[in-house]
Amino acid sequence: MDETTTGRILIDSTGSPCPGPITDLALAYRRSKVGDLLELWATDPGIRTDVRAWAAKTGNEILSISDSDGKIVVVIRIAKR
Amino acid sequence: MTQIDIETPLAQLQEISSNKMSIIMFSGTADKFIPLGVLSQAAAAIGMNVGIFVTGFALLAFTKQHHELPFPTEFADMAPQISQGMTQNNVASWDTMLRQAKDLGAQVYACSMMSGVMGLKMEDFNDLVDDIVGAATFLQAAEGGETFFV
Repeated sequence: MDETTTGRILIDSTGSPCPGPITDLALAYRRSKVGDLLELWATDPGIRTDVRAWAAKTGNEILSISDSDGKIVVVIRIAKR
Repeated sequence: MTQIDIETPLAQLQEISSNKMSIIMFSGTADKFIPLGVLSQAAAAIGMNVGIFVTGFALLAFTKQHHELPFPTEFADMAPQISQGMTQNNVASWDTMLRQAKDLGAQVYACSMMSGVMGLKMEDFNDLVDDIVGAATFLQAAEGGETFFV
């Protein structure tokens, strides 16, 4: 895998109710490469645990889950495609 | 049956034992179609194999002919409030959610026996339906995963 071509992809799911954010993440995951960082923004509180379930199921890594300006920001590193 | 080696790592075991969700969609009222859409879309999004077996009055919602799903009578008074709340919260319709689940790999099967009873053939169903199958086909496909009856 060529690490130099990896990037950071922003997924804005603010205002989208469950299961919108996890689906937006799944769709971005389809287009991602190993090494990419995905930054997911959401306002539905379900995403805090949903993203952990997604990472466990797909074998990817959550780097952080934080709150910023009323939204939840999750950063994921794609470890497996 | 999948042979499980004693050396198989835990993560791999979880993958073997629980990466499938099946729903038997039987009810024909609007309220029951919300969890159908939500669970199908969420399961497909986390990479699970999703299979839906549609039977009974639920079949009517999968026909080309427009069918307005009724609310169950005991909750009919709340229907306008629920509809308004769903719109305000940007909740997608059940068929939009199911379509998204299908885009992520979900399969929808119509029950052959009830399709026959209701006089429905493959050409009567809309594009959500992948095939008409017998109960044994669905049970075999669902084997080893989580199955819900709605």
